[in-house]
Amino acid sequence: MTALELSHVTKSFGTGHTKVNALKETNFQADRGELIAIIGPSGSGKSTFLTIVGGLLTPSTGDVIINNQKLTALNEKKRSKIRLQEIGFILQASNLIPFLTVDKQMKLLDKVKKGNMTKTELEQLYQDLGIESLRNKYPADLSGGQRQRVAIAKALYSNPSIILADEPTASLDSDRAYEVMELLKNETKNKNTTTIVVTHDTRLIGYFDKVYKMTDGVLTLEEKESAS
Amino acid sequence: MFLAWNEIKKNKLRFTLIMGVLMLISYLVFFLSGLATGLANLNRESVDKWDATGIVLTEESDKSLLQSSLTLDDAESIEAEEMAVISQMNAIASNGDTKKNVAIFGIREDEFIMPNVTEGKAFSKSNEVIASDALKEEGFQIGDELDLSSTEETVTIVGFTDEGRFNAAPVLYGELSTFHKVKYGEASEMNKDQINGIVVRADDVSTLTKDDELEAIEIETFIENLPGYTEQNLTLNFMIYFLCIISAVIVAIFLYVLTVQKISMFGVMKAQGISNGYLSRSVVAQTFILAAIGVCVGFLLTLISGAFLPSAVPVSFDIVTMIVYGILLIVVAVLGALFSVRTIVKIDPLKAIGG
Repeated sequence: MTALELSHVTKSFGTGHTKVNALKETNFQADRGELIAIIGPSGSGKSTFLTIVGGLLTPSTGDVIINNQKLTALNEKKRSKIRLQEIGFILQASNLIPFLTVDKQMKLLDKVKKGNMTKTELEQLYQDLGIESLRNKYPADLSGGQRQRVAIAKALYSNPSIILADEPTASLDSDRAYEVMELLKNETKNKNTTTIVVTHDTRLIGYFDKVYKMTDGVLTLEEKESAS
Repeated sequence: MFLAWNEIKKNKLRFTLIMGVLMLISYLVFFLSGLATGLANLNRESVDKWDATGIVLTEESDKSLLQSSLTLDDAESIEAEEMAVISQMNAIASNGDTKKNVAIFGIREDEFIMPNVTEGKAFSKSNEVIASDALKEEGFQIGDELDLSSTEETVTIVGFTDEGRFNAAPVLYGELSTFHKVKYGEASEMNKDQINGIVVRADDVSTLTKDDELEAIEIETFIENLPGYTEQNLTLNFMIYFLCIISAVIVAIFLYVLTVQKISMFGVMKAQGISNGYLSRSVVAQTFILAAIGVCVGFLLTLISGAFLPSAVPVSFDIVTMIVYGILLIVVAVLGALFSVRTIVKIDPLKAIGG
């Protein structure tokens, strides 16, 4: 079942001879339960792709469809609502609120939306990520890796149907990186979500169902063997 | 509320400072309002004590009791439910030790502006007066024989009454005949019909007189025309309103700086789909919490320091007025926060996540 579809999407910045085609015409489909990687050098258009999928950036042409809702036809207020309900972001920069403890980061989501994880599910998630002892700490007291894991917990806590992750393992050591990938994979399969991960980390290629490569704004599906 | 309160708890110092500024401003506003009320009372308290609705003066006096001159016959022509004649003059009273500027009211014992006696007894004979207890604080006592400027007559204090100041001068209340003796000396017989005004209690003041030479005015209009009264009130009120504007600007600047610091954080929250409405409400709620606590502490401080002030300072706290100013301060602080709300609405979540 298709969770996410991009049809004839392009994105360009600027006009005239300063015009930059960040994303050339892209057609893309992702099904539920798929774990997808997007790899490519920096500046290739990966982030543009991710922000378009996340409804943060409006494409120049084409349509983005999430769970049968045409994102490109909605106003910012409705897109914001879809981001809240359907999408879990794991960002490169820490997306934690500096004045909230780990527990309260999750509680904030309870304040703004329904359908989040239950208490027991959250406990399990804390344990899987190894952050159960950090629940009363503020982001400033955490290491980079711990912050990253809390950010992942936060993205998963809202039970999104699509998880968009930008370099989720960047500040983690190898062991932790594998654990996080394992977790994302389980989450994808158990909850039937669609997970798109932008990464440089070629060690992790084995976890993905599909690997796309982005080069100069062109997205191509890689054969898994040749990607690694 | 959730975000607002948790942020205040985490950044206590920062928010205590903002609260402190609001507290000091509210303290100043409350104190000025106390001073405004106190100074106003100094002028009007004896008039308020009449509990009258209007006063009849001559048209040419331009609403000044002292300059108005009419006769007891004029009083007969007025048809009000209740009325009382009054004569007034200013003098310097001396008991031998202390000299004091006083207002002398000549009244009739059986009419409604007769003051209540809080100490001693009411006047019953000629040359006996009831004095405002403001004189008691100056060292005057019952039994004191007062020399008055510009007359050979002396009057004796037989009692005191409270709230008896007219245009900042303590009042001596005496019989109309006493007043005439003091004012006209030997010519008092000839002038025994002379009065300055007629104080009335009536539903409709404007229809009291048809005489072109007389003018019936609302008591509030009379008070506003007391010398210096309106000017003084306008000055103090102007300061109070200006302080409210200053506090709005200060709050706006503080919150704006805090908001600008948090732009990326707001951006991340917006990227996650938390609505502008929720974030804006949070900032407004935060301002409300800060302003409410600041104003309440300022209120308490005002009352505490008011209790320790010497009685010479004309401060009088009117709780209702203070509550109105307190609410006004909170409202303008919240208006100052709206400036930051605009900034939040304009944040582009894309920039926050470095896309």
